[in-house]
Amino acid sequence: MREVDNANPAILNVSQLPSRSRKVTTPRHGPDSKCDKIVYSKRPWLCGSSSSEDEDLEEDYGEDPVDAQDIYDLISPISDPEHPHTLGQLSVVQLPDIHLSPSPAERRGNALVTVTVDLTPTVEHCSLATVIGLAVRYRLEQTLPPNYRFDVRMKDGSHAQDDQVNKQLGDKERVAAALENDTLKGMLDKMLETCV
Amino acid sequence: MAQFKQWALEYVLADDEPVQLELTKKAAKEIENSRASSTVVGNWAASVHQWMTLTNSNDDDQMEDGDEGVSGDIISRAKALAFLAGTLEALDKTILRPDQVQRLVGFFGAMFSYDHKAGITASAKALQQLYSMKNFKPEMGVKSLEDVCKLKEDFRLQTAGTRLEMYELFLSLVEDPAVSSELQHKYGASCGFALDLLQLCSSERDPRNLMIWFKIIRRLLIEFSPSPEVTEEIFKAFSAYFPISLRSSATPIGITAEDLKEAVRNCFSSHQRVAPFAFPFLMQKLDQGDAVTVAVKVDILRTINACIEEYENPQASVVPYVEKIWGSLKYEVRNGEVKETIDATLEVLRAITRKLDGSKTHKHDVSLIKNYIDLVFGDCRDDLSNPTYTKQAGLLLMTVVTASIRGYVLYNSSFIDIIRQNIRQPRSPTHTRDLLLLVNSIVKTRVELVKNRKDGHHDDEDQLRAETRTHLVNLFHDVYLPIWTGKAGEAGSSENDILKQVALGLGLLVSQQALDAEGEPSLLCPGAICDEISKLLTATLVKPLTLSSNDNQSQDATLEDEVVLAMRTIVMNYVDAYGPFLMTARKEILKRDWAAPSEHSLEALKVLLSRLVFIGCSEIPSNIKFDTEPQQPYNPLQHYYAFLQNFPVQFPLSPQSVAANSYILSSFHASVIWFRDACDAKYGASALAQYSSSEKNWMDEFEQLPGSLVSQFESGAIFLDEAATAIKEEDPEVYRQFLRLSLFVVRELYKSATDQAPWSEEALIQLARTASLVVQSLDGKLQVSCKLAQEAFALFKTSEDQPFSSPLSGLLTVGILQGLHPVAMEELYKSGGVAEKFICDTSSLSSSPRASDIKAAVGAIYSNKYQAGPAASEEYQTLKRVLEFWTSWVKDSVSSSDVDSETFRQFTNVAMHTIAGAVARQEKLVLDLLPVLHEAAASPSPNGEIVARSMGILVQPNSEVLNKESHAVTKRFYKQWAYNFLVRPLYELARPGNGKDPKTTARYSITILSVVKNCPFTVYQDDVESLLRLLVIALSSKKDDTILSDEAAQAQVIAALEILVDILAHEPEALKGFLKEIISGTTKVYQESAPSNSTLHKPLTMCRKLSLQVLGALPKTFEERYLLSFSPPTQRMLALACGDPVRKVREAARAARGNWARVV
Repeated sequence: MREVDNANPAILNVSQLPSRSRKVTTPRHGPDSKCDKIVYSKRPWLCGSSSSEDEDLEEDYGEDPVDAQDIYDLISPISDPEHPHTLGQLSVVQLPDIHLSPSPAERRGNALVTVTVDLTPTVEHCSLATVIGLAVRYRLEQTLPPNYRFDVRMKDGSHAQDDQVNKQLGDKERVAAALENDTLKGMLDKMLETCV
Repeated sequence: MAQFKQWALEYVLADDEPVQLELTKKAAKEIENSRASSTVVGNWAASVHQWMTLTNSNDDDQMEDGDEGVSGDIISRAKALAFLAGTLEALDKTILRPDQVQRLVGFFGAMFSYDHKAGITASAKALQQLYSMKNFKPEMGVKSLEDVCKLKEDFRLQTAGTRLEMYELFLSLVEDPAVSSELQHKYGASCGFALDLLQLCSSERDPRNLMIWFKIIRRLLIEFSPSPEVTEEIFKAFSAYFPISLRSSATPIGITAEDLKEAVRNCFSSHQRVAPFAFPFLMQKLDQGDAVTVAVKVDILRTINACIEEYENPQASVVPYVEKIWGSLKYEVRNGEVKETIDATLEVLRAITRKLDGSKTHKHDVSLIKNYIDLVFGDCRDDLSNPTYTKQAGLLLMTVVTASIRGYVLYNSSFIDIIRQNIRQPRSPTHTRDLLLLVNSIVKTRVELVKNRKDGHHDDEDQLRAETRTHLVNLFHDVYLPIWTGKAGEAGSSENDILKQVALGLGLLVSQQALDAEGEPSLLCPGAICDEISKLLTATLVKPLTLSSNDNQSQDATLEDEVVLAMRTIVMNYVDAYGPFLMTARKEILKRDWAAPSEHSLEALKVLLSRLVFIGCSEIPSNIKFDTEPQQPYNPLQHYYAFLQNFPVQFPLSPQSVAANSYILSSFHASVIWFRDACDAKYGASALAQYSSSEKNWMDEFEQLPGSLVSQFESGAIFLDEAATAIKEEDPEVYRQFLRLSLFVVRELYKSATDQAPWSEEALIQLARTASLVVQSLDGKLQVSCKLAQEAFALFKTSEDQPFSSPLSGLLTVGILQGLHPVAMEELYKSGGVAEKFICDTSSLSSSPRASDIKAAVGAIYSNKYQAGPAASEEYQTLKRVLEFWTSWVKDSVSSSDVDSETFRQFTNVAMHTIAGAVARQEKLVLDLLPVLHEAAASPSPNGEIVARSMGILVQPNSEVLNKESHAVTKRFYKQWAYNFLVRPLYELARPGNGKDPKTTARYSITILSVVKNCPFTVYQDDVESLLRLLVIALSSKKDDTILSDEAAQAQVIAALEILVDILAHEPEALKGFLKEIISGTTKVYQESAPSNSTLHKPLTMCRKLSLQVLGALPKTFEERYLLSFSPPTQRMLALACGDPVRKVREAARAARGNWARVV
């Protein structure tokens, strides 16, 4: 087997990753909270059964355009090709390095949106940086609508040959050709298995 | 003679077992008929002669003849012998005379040295039979055993089945007291026969045989007092199998590896005379290091454990090996990592303490246990100051010290002393935590020891009575308090862990009991210390309320949760702690201004109230003495009473704050839930039943109480029920008194409720739900005698109380009605009664939808809790009138222009819920009403649409109002029943075409979908075909305002999609014929439900999400060939949908897109 480029990467715990759900206050789980749900129920009592859907329906169904956290949620669960961890856990993908232009607030209708993702390989000489970049790009293409354009790059100075890698990732023809390659496609599919 | 010969021949020739059995029975009968005359028995024995030998002289010669018959037909001879054995089996066991038995024993015994091939199985079986004969003498047993041993090397050549017969024979013989005493008499301690047996059976491998062989060995060791040399031989025989395992076999034999292990273990632990061999052998196996697997190690440890537990006279059998055992075992815990091994090791160490301590009837000399514990102490003492080994050393010491009361009393003080010294100079926070954990474990184990003190030797209790306790009492000031004050200010996770341990320890410390001279338990800690502890914890719990939102940095409530649990333990044991805690909390709460509280303050209030309730009301307090005079005589209800006295009774907190006030009532609700659960757990839910016959009217008693609610609580007047004053902890009467008290408070709050501040809708809802909970716990008879049905409408108010007549008062009515049993509702079905008036009063319905919800709930309960009576009865007629009133109201108003649509909607809601209550009970009256409703739904006026859409309510009654706990009557198959009459007739009418009015068909379609949506799949699975047609129409029909309003169209689409999801989950095959329509329909729905800012935002979003869900599920269910032609446009549409503004929709789109991507 090929030697791993970085045998001991720093790994974040899943609970340390940025997520949307944590912004909402979690309910208490103390020993005394058994009947909180009953006695502090937010649902109106006695309302007709027709409106007995989830309490937080309003929250769930509010409009919420695609933002950086969404993009992060899409790509952070991609598995690393070398380690049994996700790109999020290895900090290859970081929330502050994802940018959308125009920003969600300024967006109108089906205007073009450019998503820029800067990746940080775990080591400067990471030989799989291109594959990771390709996987991120492939995942975004698979999951975002056609009016989105993607710019996946290595973060400045994070990789010894970032120029070359960026060039490869930016070249549509080469990306398309790479996806035709069965071995590479198989590798990408394996990396994307952890995405739901 | 000829007869026997004939039978023997037939037997030899027969292959069928039943035929053979028959023949042996005949032979047996013949012998019995002749009363076992020598001639007949002789003839019988001689009947097999021809197979025994080729040259024959006479019977006797043949028996003795050793060499000649070998050349005969082996199979026939085996069968012939089996004939004899079979006859013996069928023969009356008392009939053969001793001499006959002896000759037969001789004959069959000889077979073992004479006929190794044919005769063994039959002979073994025959000997078994002979052994069970009445005239079998012990010396014959000895002879059989000796004969069998002559088989020697040939034994192992026999089949496993044959050997099994022989093992069973051996076991019967050695287990027979007469035979075994004969054997002992003959062989003495040298046990020659045993050595022969060992030689015979030395290479047994069959699991079934081994199980018996091990039993025989155990028997030999226990019963025959073999000499040490013989014991060693026997030990070698069984220890060779250790550790035993079992290869998995294709044909299971009913014996597991565990059975075999157990059997070998029983050999090891059979008798202390094995000890000199067993312990060194096992220790040597254990000390092989890494070569031993975990399973084997556990087996060894369990075997050691069994030996220690079983051997008698520990002084000779265990003590000599203790040092060696400890020497080997300590490393298993100190350096061990595998939980199973550590547990098994600790089990052994515990067993040693118990063995050396003595038994229930006899205590050994104290020096045994002392020497052992000293040994352990010596090795572990230093490890306690080393953070790496603190936990392990503590575990070892804990196990050894707390295994017996004597050990505990002797050593706990010095153990705690060592820990205390170390805790003063901790090496790291984890060191402190581990040491605290240790102290807590010791204290916790003490609780168990005190509790189980009566199970052991009577000395144990005396020991506990005389123990020194100051070191335990001092734990608070020496250990817990300094750590608490030292760490309380710091907020790190390791500090938090330590504080949690302190809290846990404080709870345990207060719950410690000490025995006085008479053996009566009382609290170990003096009241002053308990007070100090509870004050410390109270401050922690009240603190969040005093902090501002900026100060409260800790998100981690785990420490507070631990404090809550500790505090509960404290107040349940030291009952005087709850009062001051409540007072402090109350004082803090009242200090604040609740007129316009911040969100943070409200949250803090909510949490504090919730904790106050949990701490005081989630258990029944224990009645344990303590050194100071209690503030009040013990009463199991005292905490609950104190809580009510301090909070709900003080309602409101502030006239202005709606939230704060309703939290007070929420806490009352919570206290009822907790205390009821505590009563259920302690006395069982059936505890109430025994009082049902002797109920009084509690309302009358309440009536006689003077003064205000607060003054009654302060004077304790409410306690004046004679049953309540001297109530015992274990008395189920507590449950009833709890309900009485709760009902009293509910009543008082009902009386004071008005439509003005501080009463708000939230507060009223809380009160109503509490009332429902209390009322539903009362049994029917009590509900009747308290006239609760009438009070539901009178709200317990008298002329002196402030009236409450706004529509919201109905909430309180629902609260009581909901908890009533049908029997208690009877009064309400009187003609022209208050309930009928309330439900059928159409004037009071204002424009508030709340009022209609309330009336709908009352209506549903009313029509549901009717106790079936004759059709002519007044009650039945009233119910009929109510149901007909609402049906005809719907029918008459549907096309009337006097009623605006909003009002109509509300009234229809009431009508449908009222009828739904009866539907759940499968009330036949409903059947006459359904056609009327169908007609109303089909009405061309816009209101018809409202009726059609509301029909779903009929099969979905409000589960909050009608549920099992609140005694609602819900038949098991009522949905099926309703579906048959409500929906089935409409399928034909709903299908468009043939000149039917499109509006009418659309209405019927909505009716069907709104009902089906609320039914499980099994209810409508027979009509899926017809239903699918309707669904397709609903999805693909063009928008047409003249037929359906937008709102109704949306609702219909949503219902259609929900039903599709359900069908996809249960019977996707049904969709195969409709794929094209469904795909185009759902695509169309998605595209037409573009986001909008109107009030339809939510239904539109639902439409989009559900349509994508349905679309996405198709590729998972159907093969590609069915979907391929739809793939490109669908994929394009799904790609666009991935940019939907609503996140949930995007998620559904992504999932669908992923599934469709595979269709290529």
